[in-house]
Amino acid sequence: MVKWRNGEIPLNIDILSENNRLAERNRGYFEGRQVVCLNLVSSPGSGKTTILEKTIASMIARRKIFVIEGDQQTARDAERIEKSGAPAIQINTGSGCHLDANMIQLALKKMEVTAGSVLFIENVGNLVCPAMFDLGEEKRVVVISVTEGDDKPLKYPYMFQSSHLCIINKTDLLPYVDFNVETVMANARQINPTLEFLLMSAKTGEGMKQWVEWVEGLKD
Amino acid sequence: MHELSLATEVIELAQREAGKRGLTVIEEILIEVGDLSGVEADAFESALGLIVKGSILEGAEIKILRTPGKAKCSGCNSEFDMSQRMATCPGCGSFPSEFSGGEEFRVVSLLAG
Repeated sequence: MVKWRNGEIPLNIDILSENNRLAERNRGYFEGRQVVCLNLVSSPGSGKTTILEKTIASMIARRKIFVIEGDQQTARDAERIEKSGAPAIQINTGSGCHLDANMIQLALKKMEVTAGSVLFIENVGNLVCPAMFDLGEEKRVVVISVTEGDDKPLKYPYMFQSSHLCIINKTDLLPYVDFNVETVMANARQINPTLEFLLMSAKTGEGMKQWVEWVEGLKD
Repeated sequence: MHELSLATEVIELAQREAGKRGLTVIEEILIEVGDLSGVEADAFESALGLIVKGSILEGAEIKILRTPGKAKCSGCNSEFDMSQRMATCPGCGSFPSEFSGGEEFRVVSLLAG
């Protein structure tokens, strides 16, 4: 039994509880509107924005798509996304290294996400910090490119543990790099045995069909 | 450096809880940081120290309680200590099936001034 001192106020409150509460509100908002929300996380330069451009091109005829872009600075990514035909809103985190549930809530007030659509959130390129912050997404998708090390899941276990799907991107470069697909999968499965994988080259289009099917197959 | 935004969360949490109770001075705050929580305890403590000025926690003593990680082995079912996420069972070398301690990241208590 803990003995509390005079004036001591026991709290036992999870420090992320406020973010988690807001994330649940976002989740409720998405469920109410039958919006599928996906949170894309990766290191900088893994190809998330290119994947989104190609995804929009292949899905836009059948499904309304919205994008929230997170970067420390500039609106370059949102501009790229809008050119490919989907409304996008850019969040600049300034010195911050991740998006949080409150930023998503504020973005949703500025951009009307219509019922039955897909909302992609492109998180700040960072494999550490975004792992701790639930945004209210239905699924988290971690992207790793073959120009990175195949030991990345072991170095950044939290991100791989909290993700549902792992896209291995830039497979067109596999002949030129020392990246072993089997090794990265085995490493990631040690941390997260239920993680799904998808091989992709956003550049050549490999895996794009399977990815679009995966997204469209998600229950909203 | 998410430790800085986590430190901001702590200040907001302390301000909310103090407000509810009409406290204006906090003498001490006790924060539990588990070894498997994903929070670097030292970086977090420095970050909090840097931004308390002008907040309800200015002048408060910041106490950090580190909780060791504990896990259950997926192979032999034994419980073992785990100081980092990728550790394996010292007995049989398997990865853990679940964590039973060390994931905590919470404000345990405040001491009113």
